[in-house]
Amino acid sequence: MKKIVIAFMSLGITLGLVTASWSINFGDILNDTLKQPPKEEPAPKPAPAKEAPATNSQSGGGGGLIGILEGTGAVDKKTSNILRGAGNLVKSLQPIGWEEERAIGGSLALEVFSRFGGQYKNEKLQRYISLVGLSVAGVSDRADIPYHFAILNSDTPNAFAAPGGYIFVSSGLLRLVRNEAELAGVLGHEVAHVAKRHALKTIERSKTLQGFSQLTTSILDSDPGVLENIVKEMSETLFTKGLDQGLEFEADKFGMEYAYRVGYFPGGLRDFMKVLNKAQGSGSALFSTHPTPRARYGKLNVQFGHYADASKAPTLAKRYSSNTQGQL
Amino acid sequence: MVSGALLLVLSIGSIPAWAATWYVKSSKTPMTAEPSARSKNLGYLSAGQPVNVLGTEGKFMKVSVGGKEGYVFKFKLTQTAPEGGGGGGGLDALMGDQKMAAAETSSGSSIRGLSPISESYGKGKGISPAHINSVKQMESLSIPESQLDQFQAEGGLGPYAN
Repeated sequence: MKKIVIAFMSLGITLGLVTASWSINFGDILNDTLKQPPKEEPAPKPAPAKEAPATNSQSGGGGGLIGILEGTGAVDKKTSNILRGAGNLVKSLQPIGWEEERAIGGSLALEVFSRFGGQYKNEKLQRYISLVGLSVAGVSDRADIPYHFAILNSDTPNAFAAPGGYIFVSSGLLRLVRNEAELAGVLGHEVAHVAKRHALKTIERSKTLQGFSQLTTSILDSDPGVLENIVKEMSETLFTKGLDQGLEFEADKFGMEYAYRVGYFPGGLRDFMKVLNKAQGSGSALFSTHPTPRARYGKLNVQFGHYADASKAPTLAKRYSSNTQGQL
Repeated sequence: MVSGALLLVLSIGSIPAWAATWYVKSSKTPMTAEPSARSKNLGYLSAGQPVNVLGTEGKFMKVSVGGKEGYVFKFKLTQTAPEGGGGGGGLDALMGDQKMAAAETSSGSSIRGLSPISESYGKGKGISPAHINSVKQMESLSIPESQLDQFQAEGGLGPYAN
């Protein structure tokens, strides 16, 4: 019994450290909003140094704390194997590096075009969307990666973000948007998904990557099945099941915040929820993968109340209209 | 009396006596002579560059870099140091206008093209060449910094916001 208690205390320390660091980050996220100036999220991490593909080493190696515990008789072999398994689970949480993110995101972007009507080819309109999107991305918490914007040739209102900064809005959604502040809010929501690495964090915790201590481009290159599994799971998450609802609310929160930082009327995203609410029944993935527009409106409306100078900020309805009229 | 004076100083608050290190979020961030995007441009800061924040004036932060003082749009700065050492330091990171003009390509991105791994994935999954070209097109769409700046100036956005 004593041995087991010691073993689990050791495991608790290990996991406790991980949890503690997550807690600190989450605190930063909360503090980041609605303060003048806001506290920022950590800057983008450079791609980790490339290493040889790691394998699940559950049976290998007897060193480390677990090895010492086993060696000193504090735990038996069965318990130490359980602890090693838990250790490997912790290893699988290694953040995915930039080049790998880019490879995954590019592949997912191909799937988006393939599944959602292909590209709406209008470079003038695409440039305008990109100008709004880049303005928002430039004040985000991950401003030093490239962001790319495209329009989907689909009447169904949709918007997607793929890791690596690939952001899509459908022509159907653009027809519903009434001003630039609303567009900035929608794009801000998508930028927030990328900036907060929502899809990547989800896949990092999934079974698909269990057994990997680090995902490298050499693994993705040499074993196409790994990338296929990742893209398949991400596609299911983003297009069908949806991300964790808490992550969607977080993207809303930062979407509104980023639009505010650029100088737009921050109520744009909130107001667009009313428009979106009327479009229910259109078969859009926005409804099956996100919280209801009503629930999103409620949270955004509370947040909106904290922006004391919000009413003075522009919605730029005329500019939106002049840039989209006759283009959609 | 002394405490009253201290309180007054603290309540003015826009330029505190302390200085703190912040970091530039993205490359080609302009530093201006005054807290206005329309004032003289002193040069450009690079991503991850540490700056000494001397205070806040409206939407700008007064900063000191390599012995030079100027102003940066506050949402272009972050309190968190980049991992991996950031963007160097000193005057090298403060590029002059001429150097900037030569360096200017596109905003928020470098043009790279679709990852070969992604392209290989697309071909393997039978995704049409048209869709592969669409991703390449969205990656190659170049928005010059000057165009983004003009867009924000016309809309009263970013550093031009009131």
